[in-house]
Amino acid sequence: MTNFITALVLGGFFGFSLNKAGLTKYNKIVNVFRFTDMAVLQFMMTALVVAMSGLFALRGLGLITFPAVPATYVVGNIVGGLLFGVGMALTGF
Amino acid sequence: MKFILNYIRKETWSPYVAGVLLGVVGIAAVWISDSLLGASGAFENLAGLIGQAAAPTLFDNMYFNFIMPPGITVGVILLVGVFFGGMIGAATSGTLKWGKKDAVNSDTQWKRIFGAQTWKRWLLAFIGAIILEYAAGIAGGCTSGLAISGGMLLAPAAFLFIAGMFASGIVTALVIYRKNY
Repeated sequence: MTNFITALVLGGFFGFSLNKAGLTKYNKIVNVFRFTDMAVLQFMMTALVVAMSGLFALRGLGLITFPAVPATYVVGNIVGGLLFGVGMALTGF
Repeated sequence: MKFILNYIRKETWSPYVAGVLLGVVGIAAVWISDSLLGASGAFENLAGLIGQAAAPTLFDNMYFNFIMPPGITVGVILLVGVFFGGMIGAATSGTLKWGKKDAVNSDTQWKRIFGAQTWKRWLLAFIGAIILEYAAGIAGGCTSGLAISGGMLLAPAAFLFIAGMFASGIVTALVIYRKNY
């Protein structure tokens, strides 16, 4: 149950940050593919760098263990990514 | 304090500030609940739940038995949180369009490219979403579940996925926008 409540709160902050970065808007998403508005990349990469350094520092201190890392299967990942881009540019997800 | 409150009310934050917030949430997800943020998996869990109730034999396969077990998972709850979080975000900046006339189709850039009809917006969003979800199933995650959550654990899959996503996204945008690119 506590697990569900933390998930709800985490999801809340997740959605909040997405909304404030403007990623809930069609034009933000599609303009990153037109190189006219790089907000999506700036947002994603900032999140990556912050989370990455935080997680690896915490693991170094022995405070956390990593959950299962998403599996690598080269063809599937790339084909999935290629298809995903089509949907992303169409929908504005 | 006042500065912070005013900043929360702004409609669009600097993507760097919002990115730091998401990064902290990503760390918290691993630290507190030992899980990763993700969106696409939850839809598959829900689809599996509905599918097993409606057509048990059709959904009795490898994928739904082992890779994406159906049920109300943490991911589903997370998605509910994302919905309300986004809504709170819009409410704080005063752009919440709940029940307003142009709520479903207010994007001027979309109207300029595809036309003003709302049904077009719905149809394209529906088709695009099917492509998105199917592709996320193949790759093993979406932008949040694989690219961000996988990337912060330095999973090679995430960076392959990001490369593929941007390559085809740029091509698709080129095709859609043609002269206006």
